[in-house]
Amino acid sequence: MLRRILVSLLYIFFLFGCEEKTEVAAPVAQFNLAPYPVSATPLPENLQWLTNDSDPEFSDPAAQRGGTFRESMLSFPLTLRLVGPDSNGSFAGNMRALSMSLLGRHPNTLKPIPALATHWAFAPDHKTVYFKLDPDARFSDGKPVTADDYVYTLEFMRSKFIVAPFSNEYFTTQIVDVLKFDNYTIAVVSGSAKPEDELLEDINMNPVPRHFHQLNDNWVRDFNWLPEPGTAAYKVGEVRKGKYIQFDRIDNWWANNKRYYHHRFNPDHILIKVIRDQNIAWQHFEKGELDSFGLTLPDYWHNKAKGDVFDKGYIQKIWYYNNVVQPAQGLWLNMAKPPLDDIRVREALAYAMDFDKVINTVLHGDYSRMPTHNVGYGDYDNRTIKPRSFDIAHAVTLLESAGWTATDSDGIRKKNGERLSLTISYGNALHSDRLVILKEEARKAGIELQLQLLDNSSFFKQVLEKNHQIASLGWAGSGLSPEYRQFYHSENAFKPQTNNIVNFSDPEMDKLIDTYRAELDRNKRIDLAHLMEQKVYDSAAMIPTFQVPYFREAYWGWIKLPHGVSNYATRSSDSAVDAMGTGLFWIDVAEKNRIRELRREGKPFSEPVTIIDETWK
Amino acid sequence: MNLGITLHPQTRKQWQRFRSIRRGYYSAIGFLLLVLLSCGAEMIANSRALIVHYDGHYYFPTYGAILPGTTFGLDYPHETNYRDLKKSFSQQSDLSKKNNSEERSNWLLMPAIPWNAFESHAVEGLYPPLAPSLQYQHYLGTDGAGRDIAARLLYGFRLSIAFSLLLLACNYAIGTVVGIAMGFYGGKFDLIMQRIIEIWSSVPTLYVIMIVASILLPNFWILLGIMVFFDWTAMTWYMRTASYKEKARTYVLAARAQGASDWRIITRHLLPNTLTLLITFAPFSITGGITALTALDYLGFGLPPPTPSWGELLREGVSRMDNEWIVASVTLSMVIILVMVTWIGEALREAFDPKKHTVYQ
Repeated sequence: MLRRILVSLLYIFFLFGCEEKTEVAAPVAQFNLAPYPVSATPLPENLQWLTNDSDPEFSDPAAQRGGTFRESMLSFPLTLRLVGPDSNGSFAGNMRALSMSLLGRHPNTLKPIPALATHWAFAPDHKTVYFKLDPDARFSDGKPVTADDYVYTLEFMRSKFIVAPFSNEYFTTQIVDVLKFDNYTIAVVSGSAKPEDELLEDINMNPVPRHFHQLNDNWVRDFNWLPEPGTAAYKVGEVRKGKYIQFDRIDNWWANNKRYYHHRFNPDHILIKVIRDQNIAWQHFEKGELDSFGLTLPDYWHNKAKGDVFDKGYIQKIWYYNNVVQPAQGLWLNMAKPPLDDIRVREALAYAMDFDKVINTVLHGDYSRMPTHNVGYGDYDNRTIKPRSFDIAHAVTLLESAGWTATDSDGIRKKNGERLSLTISYGNALHSDRLVILKEEARKAGIELQLQLLDNSSFFKQVLEKNHQIASLGWAGSGLSPEYRQFYHSENAFKPQTNNIVNFSDPEMDKLIDTYRAELDRNKRIDLAHLMEQKVYDSAAMIPTFQVPYFREAYWGWIKLPHGVSNYATRSSDSAVDAMGTGLFWIDVAEKNRIRELRREGKPFSEPVTIIDETWK
Repeated sequence: MNLGITLHPQTRKQWQRFRSIRRGYYSAIGFLLLVLLSCGAEMIANSRALIVHYDGHYYFPTYGAILPGTTFGLDYPHETNYRDLKKSFSQQSDLSKKNNSEERSNWLLMPAIPWNAFESHAVEGLYPPLAPSLQYQHYLGTDGAGRDIAARLLYGFRLSIAFSLLLLACNYAIGTVVGIAMGFYGGKFDLIMQRIIEIWSSVPTLYVIMIVASILLPNFWILLGIMVFFDWTAMTWYMRTASYKEKARTYVLAARAQGASDWRIITRHLLPNTLTLLITFAPFSITGGITALTALDYLGFGLPPPTPSWGELLREGVSRMDNEWIVASVTLSMVIILVMVTWIGEALREAFDPKKHTVYQ
């Protein structure tokens, strides 16, 4: 009887299991799709085709294939789609890394390199770029990547079924057309004229496999757990929802032997496990169940990364100075809220912030002072600007000239009976330690700072509604040149839900921003950027705080980092053990067994290793 | 208000019994001492000097307005750094000793812990948290922002005691009034109030606090207000039952027969006879108040930083287990205080127990 119940239970289980499976199974792929028509306008004849086969290769020929690289994530993603609702979580980067773009970017020289396209050519209108596609390129399901996939991308990204307003908009106004000339020649047309490097960056697109998708009302749901076939070296392997996701390297990946792509993406598998707590993930790492761990936070680098596993050289550390766009970390002063409408008060505040003390105490001297809003854009950086440093006497002079002459019994300045008390809002409890130091030091200038720690979403709401006085936050930077319009153009001031959170409004600045947007000459744009950066500095609307021009990591001794053209990592790396990004490291399987053996016996593997690389500092 | 119990022989007996329970009695003395000491926390842990003798004048900077550095001949207009001043005074006196000069008049006296609860101590070459050290007079070390833990514990203690005493007073005041009214008047009033309280107490307090904390900056009074708003119901049940029972006693009937008003019966007869209940519950409510505030701070929904609080220290201690002095000092302090209050509570309950022969061991 019992056995029968068990069997029927199993049967039920099996049944339900099957049902779930059928629910998520792929819709029938469309194999016999009619090709898109060829563009009516022919390919211009005297195009000057460009490519890049002369930049140095950045991988290490000594790299070995094999092994499984293990990482952790704090929560399981809500979807495996690349667009649509919930597709921009912290896991999205891994999914995006599965598909390549038309062109890549050399991580050291930052010049464009071939990817899915081998050659490119600019039209004189500064809007159109022509591409010769690599006929070898294949999706992970073996289908060739052709011009039709790019034409389809436009159709796909504009579809209302994908529920992605940003993509809808971007592929309508920024990328206005994709023209097919033959199966392996296309042109991508931008909505506005741009300088060449910007143009290339903005129209660089990833093909969406036409044979895979079925756009209809159910697309968001049906394709939620269906990984789209990509063009990069890995594809999604085993997935256990809530537990882990594994990526497998594609056998005979089409770009295996291409310049810039060989000796890269070396582990056979990448396993990303869900570990919901950072401290527990650290313990997994110390036990050897994860291969690497980020140590950029001072507390981890200085206090946690200690002990036997480090002393015996099983785990090694690297501190690598990279050279990438820095997030604009700062205190953003809402100039619409008195007394911050007075430039003297804003400047005094900047002089009353003792960032050096913060750096030398809670930040262990590791971070450095951010000089201004935009840093890391190469020539666009205005290097003449030096940040306002802690100077109480100067702050006091400024405040006194602004009429804050009286002080109350706490030493806080007063004007017309009102105390100089300002509220700093922030959304990350880890920043409390930094702000309490600023608060104490600012008292010396007679400024009282109230700290308002808010839950992250309430904080952003407050800031975007422009209800803050001072907001402590950082904007992630991107692109090739700094962006001023969203932060400083008056069209965004005094309006909720825009990024001009300082309410910057200056007709002269507007003019500069408009000229900057329309300008096509790089040198002129650089001059304009310098001017605008100076204006931002002069207004003291934003007090830049810290920059972290490096990453720090710990990794087990069996992880081998490249030597040669790139030592350990590249100029644009944000990790040396970044399996799907630059993918330069490899796993030495024999060494892994040896280290495990040594560890069992308690014998050291090597001297403690701490690499500090300042090549790009 | 004279409740007519102060001189009663019964009360004297209860007091004697309370004294005879040693651990409760000594805990009470110790606890009161700590509360008294914490009231003068500024004289124990402070960055301001207790007394400064400068150029023939005496200064007492502990309380009152700040004294700018210029007061003592220093070159800055913000508050004097008394620790540095002390150093410079002692250098001066060393110098004058060397010169055999008579002039060594300037001196100052710092509190036992020369740090306040907010300032972070930056030591060249060392990064916070600093381990306990006599050299820097961080007797319990510092936290991650370099603030003295002993000072933060002391000020945090004062805050949580004040919080829980105020919470107790408010809860009991409202709970007693409503509870006695329910028990005394009974009938429909009782029935309706019971339902209201049932609904009231099923509102999840923690969520309300979390929501409020995300909208406005919670301060001491807002937190107290929210806690009272939801916590007063607990006491009503006990007071209601007690007054129901007492109401039926013959002495109440006698008072009524003599023409006593409701107010008189409640204040002169019911209240004194239910007081035992309040007194025996009080210590446990105090521990409840302390743990509630600590829990809120621990979760980050309590008082905003940089308010010194035990919950915040506890959270920091847990995340910095390697710096064991943080978690050790805060847990030890919590255990000591909570055990003391619990012992007081036990002793009180025992002292007020009508069954005299129960022994608490």
